This record gives sequence, structure tokens and C-alpha cells, in this order.
Amino acid sequence: MNKKKWLATPYFIWSLAFILIPLGIIVYYGFTDKNGVFTLYNVMQITRPENAKALGLALLLSIIATIICLILAYPLAMILTSMNVNQTSFIVLIFILPMWMNFLLRTLAWQTLLEKTGVINSILNALHLPSLNIINTPYAIILGMVYNFLPFMVLPIYNVLLKLDKDVVNASRDLGANEFQTFIKVIFPLSMPGVISGIMMVFIPSLTTFVISTMLGGSKILLIGNVIEQEFTQGSNWHVGSGLSLVLMVFILLSMIVMFKYDKEGEGGALL
Amino acid sequence: MKNFIKRFYLLLIFILLYAPIITLVVLSFNNSKTRAKWGGFTTKWYHELFQNEQILNALSNTLLIALLSALIATIIGTIAAIGIQNMKSKGRSVMLGINNIPMMNSEIVTGISLMLLFIAVGNIYGKMSGNNAVSLFGFITILLAHITFNIPYVVLSVMPKLRQVNPNTYEAALDLGASPIYAYFKVIIPDILPGILSGFLLSFTLSLDDFVITHFTKGAGVDTLSTKIYTEVKKGIKPEMYALSTLMFGTVLLLLLIVNYAPKKKENADGLSFSKVGEFKKVIAVAMVFVIFLGGFYAFRGNSSLNTEQVIVYNWGEYIDPEVLEQFTEETGIQVVYDEFETNETMYPKVEAGAVAYDLVCPSDYMIKRMLDNDLLAKINFDNVPNIKYIGQTYLDQSKEFDPTNEYSIPYTWGTVGILYNKKMVKEPVDSWSILWDPQYKDQILMQDSVRDAFAVALKSLGYSLNSTNRTELEQARDLLIEQKPLVQAYVIDQVRDKMIGNEAALGVIYSGEAIYTQRENPDLEYVIPKEGSNIWFDSWVIPKNAPNKENAEKFLNFLCRPDIALKNFEYITYSTPNEGARELIEDEDIRNSTIAFPDVSALKNCETFQFLGDDVDAMYNELWREVKSK
Amino acid sequence: MENNKLIDFVNISKSYDGNLILDDLNLYIRENEFLTLLGPSGCGKTTTLRILGGFESPDVGRVIFDRKDITNTPPNHRQLNTVFQKYALFSHMTIAENIAFGLKIKKKSKAYIQDKINYALKLVNLDGYGNRYPNSLSGGQQQRIAIARAIVNEPKVLLLDEPLGALDLKLRQDMQYELVRLKNELGITFVYVTHDQEEALTMSDTIVVMNQGYIQQIGSPERIYNEPENAFVADFIGDSNIIPGIMIEDRMVEILGARFECVDEGFGKNKPVDVVIRPEDVDLVSPEEGTIQGTVTSLIFKGVHYEMDVMANGYEWLVHSTDLVPVGQKVGIKVVPFDIQIMNKPASEDEEAVTINE
Repeated sequence: MNKKKWLATPYFIWSLAFILIPLGIIVYYGFTDKNGVFTLYNVMQITRPENAKALGLALLLSIIATIICLILAYPLAMILTSMNVNQTSFIVLIFILPMWMNFLLRTLAWQTLLEKTGVINSILNALHLPSLNIINTPYAIILGMVYNFLPFMVLPIYNVLLKLDKDVVNASRDLGANEFQTFIKVIFPLSMPGVISGIMMVFIPSLTTFVISTMLGGSKILLIGNVIEQEFTQGSNWHVGSGLSLVLMVFILLSMIVMFKYDKEGEGGALL
Repeated sequence: MKNFIKRFYLLLIFILLYAPIITLVVLSFNNSKTRAKWGGFTTKWYHELFQNEQILNALSNTLLIALLSALIATIIGTIAAIGIQNMKSKGRSVMLGINNIPMMNSEIVTGISLMLLFIAVGNIYGKMSGNNAVSLFGFITILLAHITFNIPYVVLSVMPKLRQVNPNTYEAALDLGASPIYAYFKVIIPDILPGILSGFLLSFTLSLDDFVITHFTKGAGVDTLSTKIYTEVKKGIKPEMYALSTLMFGTVLLLLLIVNYAPKKKENADGLSFSKVGEFKKVIAVAMVFVIFLGGFYAFRGNSSLNTEQVIVYNWGEYIDPEVLEQFTEETGIQVVYDEFETNETMYPKVEAGAVAYDLVCPSDYMIKRMLDNDLLAKINFDNVPNIKYIGQTYLDQSKEFDPTNEYSIPYTWGTVGILYNKKMVKEPVDSWSILWDPQYKDQILMQDSVRDAFAVALKSLGYSLNSTNRTELEQARDLLIEQKPLVQAYVIDQVRDKMIGNEAALGVIYSGEAIYTQRENPDLEYVIPKEGSNIWFDSWVIPKNAPNKENAEKFLNFLCRPDIALKNFEYITYSTPNEGARELIEDEDIRNSTIAFPDVSALKNCETFQFLGDDVDAMYNELWREVKSK
Repeated sequence: MENNKLIDFVNISKSYDGNLILDDLNLYIRENEFLTLLGPSGCGKTTTLRILGGFESPDVGRVIFDRKDITNTPPNHRQLNTVFQKYALFSHMTIAENIAFGLKIKKKSKAYIQDKINYALKLVNLDGYGNRYPNSLSGGQQQRIAIARAIVNEPKVLLLDEPLGALDLKLRQDMQYELVRLKNELGITFVYVTHDQEEALTMSDTIVVMNQGYIQQIGSPERIYNEPENAFVADFIGDSNIIPGIMIEDRMVEILGARFECVDEGFGKNKPVDVVIRPEDVDLVSPEEGTIQGTVTSLIFKGVHYEMDVMANGYEWLVHSTDLVPVGQKVGIKVVPFDIQIMNKPASEDEEAVTINE
């Protein structure tokens, strides 16, 4: 029986080569200068006002986007759970379906929708309503994040709610709790593992995105992801880029610690 | 009532999710080439899609990578999951921790870390074989990267199913005389099959949709749909791309509908999970057929080019007529591997790192100087490029600013930077950069999203040289740009063109070459070179030192200098050509004598060419620019 | 009788996806009664309980509780509490928090809640478990916590949905005692759902035997056991020989060609009936003494008694006896008139179907 644990070896070697060593390289670059001498300079670059601002803004926008996703996704997951099974599998697939249309094109389409003379404003004008000018502002970036990552919030919550024993809900009602109390005291706490992995799956990509901010922010708004990307592709300074990546990883690590506190199973909330 | 609210809410979310998709579908039938204008219904993009080699190549790469990476990840992941399941709790949590890294780490860090790995391996391999650094980037690196980020999802899909498996069934199979492997395949695998399949499907989807990691691990000439689109985003997406997306989306939607609404027998509770497996199988089977069909198509075409000569070209996006590439291959049998960049600044590190060894690159003036100073360029053997004679002497003289001996570069296009404005929206005469600081045009101004161009505008309007290295002058320019920022609608590169055509903005800073095209599409647009002076620029071909196919590169250069070919490119990209022979062939007199397309170089006395200012000053520019952007 | 009726089900019908689960059910439950709904799975007993709990609403009919119509009252406004089949404890709360849940909702004082927790834990013999989490408890312990959680709310009625189903035999028997003790201590009504006839017979004041959405028989355990009203009840409650026979006249029935004396009257003459004889009521005597004669075909030692099959007149009789009769021996069969239970053949088609299915 115990021989089977060696089956994990190929993956272990793979992850050594393609996960751990590459991370090691980033750490190496992050703590050395061009001559390979140890330095904290790269990591300390985060204290420069413009970099700190980019990180702060990224944190702010991604937190807002995560909260909006949670508020939108939770009722949605509950509605999906309450539908009968046959329909649900279809509806869940409908949520994954947009992923088959390229992520960049979908985001670009929002540009078309949101532009000054875009689709939404044309409709608003026709209805004599004030036009919506959020393109190239942080609001558009938040919209892009919510749009792109909403399914990653819905699915884990949906999965947890689906597995929730209906009698636990009944028990709460039986003991005198009304629907609202039942939600606050029983359903929501029990769905925490799903909520936590949903938060991680929205927060991390939002925090680190550079595509959404470029495409919907008109390059006027610089997030930490943009700074890192530019260090690698334009500034040609891998050391600083790696240093900033390390700082970013610290933030992700912190949120992972929060996650593991709740999700002791270590499942991370499988998607399907 | 409750049900009504539920339905209404679902509907709203669906609108949010599908509005962009419907937009794309609509755009795929738009007769106008730009996103901003509805030019009537057409299906021509669908026809053109099947003629567009680049997109079809990108599609087959995308599908092939998605399929292979999902397949390999599923195998490694499933085996690993079985292994992890049988580990003691300590080993298990270590493995699951490692497994979480790619999922929890940001894509950008994963992508960069893999890029650094492949560069490092390339360097080591190069040293061992005694050559220069070897570039590993290509199809394989993308595939490896995709497998890496897919495995964790497979592991996480399979693990819960493994946990549910009753160990007694496996033991029962052994008891009944099955060998362990047979027992596994007959008893355990069917039990965890739904998990394996959902892992596969998830991997396939994620791989299909990935951009960031591919962006950092791809090599020259290998594009997936994502990276192809990303280069096109800056330049304006080709409508064929919308058509392709619509087709892909439609196919998957159709599959889903068939699977869901195909007549089904009543199933008992047990049968249900079984039928789900069946559904997945159906979806996957059809998807496979789709992929294999395209893969075969690709392989068939790929075969014909095996073992032939090639030349690896790195050019600006949309900066050559694709027919020219085909014609070159037809005439010489040399395959052109073509790759695109968006700015000089993104091009430089790639060439410097040698991550990809290019044969021919088309940077701008100051960047050529920088490459020369950093000893990255090879001398061109002009014996192989007799057609150089068609290039006007004035342009070669002008080129001496960045290539003092005229030995390293051949001008490809040239032009100025100016203001494009909409006559309907801007009533007053435009002759000065200062209009870009006029508050009445708030949110109507498009600025260039590149350091040197943006600073050139500010420096020139302050009356300084656009090659200033004086920190005080630069800081003034920075402050001016910061002052302007609230008025700016967006910092863009090639999108100025589309946005101006679509009346999205009143004023935009643009290269002269785009002016002709935009005027053709929207007659309200006018181009001026402000009186304070501007930038005169050259994009010239250079050959990097580590070019593996230098002779082919020179053959290609000679081909590009042929008047008929230069004309073709001029008509396609509408940027001024320094090729006198080509200019004579232009039939339209208005264009041949257009002062926009061919201004008298000597008349542009206030205009300067960008100089390379040294790495330190460059860093200063970058730093100040970032301060502008982050304000 | 009428005046201490606490719960009344009036003409309740319920169906899922076109399957009729309950068909025009009428049933009342008295105060302080231990009433058990007994039947095989799918008989509608759990649905009946859930309708009473308020988790399902009937398609047709009303539920009267304490003279008020509660058919549409949500569960949180009903004065009854439920112990769920799989306990349904809140896994994110400690045992004490679980027990306090209903009291906190009712905004009871802290001191009161603490008292109640201590009292309830003592009552279910789990003193000192307050700070543990449900997952760290055994099944039997979780079961008792589920009961504690329900009873601290002082419901008028406690509903129990197969609460002992997941426990092993010994624990189940202990818990049966506990439940009866609890009921006596609390002095409230218990409505209990089970498919285990032994459980039902041990604990109940009244047993309601259900099958396929119909009530088959209502009565005390003794009555249900000794005088099953139809073949289904007879078969479901304990082992029995159910033999088709003909009622010759009052107090005389013909089975398998032999006449037996019995005590039933009023079936009419020469009427086909079902005859139920419990295996322990079959007396094996010498062939000459028996009403009919047969041969022992199998013998199993069962601890308290021997279980034998006796082939007689084409029917295999099941016999329980403390005396051993070896296989192959010829015996006579005799039954005391009082032990012969006569039942009408099922009248309706539905009931017929029921019998055939069984």
C-alpha cells in the first residue's frame, strides 16, 4: 500500500523544476544587484512613492472588486443551489462558457461598451439619461476585475452551499431562527470555506493584474502589476522587478495564511 | 414574487456576463474595420479568417497547447494525486503546499519566474556547448509553463474523489485475483473519473484563456490567440479575430446545448453521476475531434516548411503587408518567422537578453543608437543588398544621427510626430502643442503612452530640446505632464487611430504615417506639426549580433528595398517610405505629393531626431515618466 | 379523549414529481403521548413528520396544533422541535453554542441560558462536553446533543426522525431507555419516526403503521402485535405465518384443508380471509394430537428459542419453540383458538397492491 506514495515523485520533480527553482531564481534576482552582490535595494523600491502608490491602489481596487464580487456572487450561488439539479449543471457551465472567449477580447469588448460614444452611452442618450463616463477611471478597472473574476467567486460558494446539509438549515429554523438569522448564524458561517477560496481566487488575480488596468484604465492608472511588468518588459531591470514581485508574494502569502486558517482541509476550493 | 426577483437577478448577472460577448459577436459582422464605427452587416471577416495564416496558426497553437498541456497535466496530476493520497500527513501537506503555489501565486510572478528559468537554462546550455546563450523560447516553453499551472487544478479535482473512494472496493478487486494495476484501472479509476475529467476540462479551459504566462514564456513567431490579440489590441484588433471568437464560442455553446437537451432516459440517483461522465465524454470527444482536425491541418502545413531556411523578423505590430512575407517565401523558399512588438522599450530587453535570437529587427532611431552603443548590432553586408540604391540620400544622411557610418541600418519608414485633431470638435486653429493643455478639451485628449514621445511633447512646448539631459528641464517637463494628466482621456499607442476615427476624442498625438489612413476613414481629421517643432523619426532595419541567419536577413532586406515591395508596404501601412523608387510608382498624385506623407526634410528645421541619451538618462526618463503615470 | 388532542392532521395529501407520498392522511396525536410512525422506507412517515415540523407543506389538507391551524406557519413559529436523522448539529459551533442556539434567538438571559445548558448536558449524560465541537463526538454523543439542543427550548412536542438509525445495536438499546426516561421526565409529547419495529414496540404508547402513503393500523404496541389488521401489518411487525383461509362460520376457520377453532366472529359464512398465526403460538405436538400433520424441514438455534420450518399441507410453517425437534421428525400442529388472528382480505386495489409488493 505504501509503495503508492512514490507515485507523487514525478510531480515532485516537476514542481521542483518548474515551481520551486524558478521561485528561487526570483529570490536570487530580488536580493542581488547587477553584479550579483547582495542588496535590499530592489525590495526597498516598494517604498518609493510611485511604487507604494501603485501597490496601495492595486490593494484598494482589488479589495473593492473582491467585495463587490462577494456581494454579487453569494445570492447568485444561493439561487443556483435552490434550482433543480438538471438545470443547475447547465447554468454552472454557462458561467464557465465565457472563458472560452478570449479574456483579452472580453475585456476589450468592455472598452467598446463603455466608451464615450460606446454602446452603453448610446443607449443612455437615446433614453435621455446622463451618460456614463467611467472608461479610463478606476471604476472601469473595478468593473473589469468584477466581470473577469466573478465566476471564480460563484463556483466555490456554490459548491459549498450545494454540499450543505439541508437539515442543518431546517434545524436552525426549527430552533426558532427566522430566515435572516438562519443565514447569518448558520448558512454563512458554514459556507466560509467556499467564501474564503472565492476571495482568494478573486483577490489575487485582481491584485496582480496589469492587463485590465491597461485596457480599461487608458494607461492612466498604474497598478503594481503594471510596474512589475514594465520593469521586465520595458525598464529591463529584472532585479527591481524581482524585488517587487517578492513584495507582492508577501502580500499573497499573508492572504494564504488567512485562508489556511479557515480551510484546514487544504483543498483550496476545487472549482468543479 | 420571490421567484420573480430570483429570475430578475439571474438575468442581470447574465447581462453582465454576456454583454461583452454579444458585443464581440456583433463586431464580427461589422463591415467597418474599426471597432468604433458600424459600417453595415457583412460576413466577409469569416471568409478572410480562413485566409489569415497568422490567426489560423495562432488558433492551432492555442488548441494544441491547450490539449497537450491538459492531457499531460491530467496524467501527471492524477498519478500525483494518488501518490499524495497515500502519503503520511506530513508529506501530504508539503506536497499540497507546493501544489498551491502556482494557484495562489500571481500569474505574473509565475510567468516571470518561468521566463527567468528558461533564460538561465538557455545560458547554461549555451556555455556547456561553448556557444552564445541559446534561446529555448518557443512552443515547448509555453507548453511546459501551461502544464505547470494546470497540474494543481487536476490534483485538486481528483483528490476529493479519491477521498470518497471506498478502499474496500480496491481490496475486493485484489481479493478476486486482480493485479494491483488491473484493479486500479478497473476499480479506482472509474470511481474517480468524474474528477479526472473535470480536471482535464478545467485545465483545457484555463490554458485556452491564459495570456499572462504565455506572454512571458513565448518565443519568436509562436503566438497563441491571447498573445496575438494582445499585440493587436494596441494596433486595433483585426475583425477576423472577432469572427474566430464567435465561431469558437458558438461551437462550445452548441455542444453544451446538444449535451443538455439531447433526449435522455429517466435515471435513478445512481445513474445520474454516470450520465454526467457521459456528458463530459461527449463534450470532450467532440472538442478533441475539433482540435485534432485543426492540429492535423497545422501539422500538414508545418511539414512542408520543415528543414527549410528561415529568417526571424521582429517588427512593429501591423508594420508590413502580410502578402510581402508570402511573396518572399515564394520567391526565395525562405520561411519568415514573424514576431511583433509594441514599443522600442519592450523590444530592447528581449534582444539584449537574447531570449529570442532574431535575424532582423526594426527599431527607431534612438534605440538603434542604444543598441549600437551596447554592441548588439552586426554590420550589414551591403553587397547582399544592392537595392539600397533606391533609398533616398537625404534619408541616409539624416540616419547618420544615430548610425554615423550608415553601416548598421537601412531606413524602412520615417515621419514626424504631430497633432491629429477633429475639425468638428476643435474650432480654433491648431498650430501649437499648447492646445493639449487647454482645459476646454478635458477628456478629449489622447497622449502617446511612450516615455520619449510624451516627454518630447512637453519639452518642445517648453522650448527645450527633446533630447534634453538636463534634470531641471526634465523635471519641468514632468510637472507639465502631470498638470496635463487630468485633461487626458487615455495614454495609448496605436489606438489613437481608432479612437480618433470613432470620434472618441478631439485631439491626439500621433505619428504622421497614421494621418493618411485616419483621414481616409474620417475626413474631419486634420494633421499638423506644431510650430514649436517636433520629432522626426526613422524606423530602420538592423541585424542583431546573435542573428542565426544573417544572410537570409540580408536577402530579406534587399527584397524590402525593391520599389514594388516598398510600395506595397507603403500602401498597406501608410507610413512614409524613404524609398524613392517606390514613391515614383505611387499612382495617386495627391498622395505622391502629400506634404503629410512626404514633407520636405529640410523644411522641418525645428524638428529633431531622438538621440540615445545613455542608460542613466534613460533611467531618469523612465523614473520621471512613472511619476507622471502614478500621479 | 377528544379534549386532549394536541395535533390533528386533516385530509393531508402530498406528492413529489407526480408520485403520491401521502394520500388523504388523517391522524391525531394526544398530549403526552409517545407516538411512533412506523413503516418501510418511502411509506410517507418522514414526510408526515416534516409536514408537522414545517419543513414541507402539504398539497391538500390542514395541520391543527393546539386548536390552531398551523399549516402555513413557518418552522420558527411552531412550538415544537426536531431531532434530525443525521443530527444536523452546527459544526462551526461548540456543543454549548449548539444548545444555546434556540435560546439566544429567543433572547433569554445569559444566566438562564447557562443554566439550561448545564441542565440539558446533565440530562443527556454529557456533563462537561460544552466546549467541544460536534465533530469530536461519537455518533451516540452527537445524538444526545441533538436531543439536548431541541429540548432546552421546552417544546410541547419533540419530533424525532429515525434518531437512532446510525447507532450500533447496543447503543441503540441504551438510547431507547434514555428516550423513554427523558419523555417521562419532561412530560411532553414525542412523535417518533422509525422503520425498526422493535424500537417502535419498545418505546411507544401508540404506533401508526404506514405503507405507501396510507395508514395501515393505529394502536397500542400490544394491539398492533397481537391483532394486526392486515397482512402487511402482520408481516411488518415481527415474524408471522400468514395463511389464506376460509371463515366457515363464527369461531371456525378452515386453513389448508383443516378446521381450526378461533375466537373471531362477524366475518360471515364461507368467506375467504387471511389468517395470522405468530410462530411462537404454534404448538408442536405428536402427530396424533395435532390438527394437521407435517415434517420438520429445518432447525436453527436462536439463543432463546429454536426456529423451525415445518412442512404441513403444502405450507411451510414458521415455528418458534424452546423444545428441540430434530429435522425429519413427523409432528402435529396445534394452535390455541385465542392465538388465531383473522383478517379480511384487502378490499381496495391500493391495499391489494401493497400486499403484493410486500
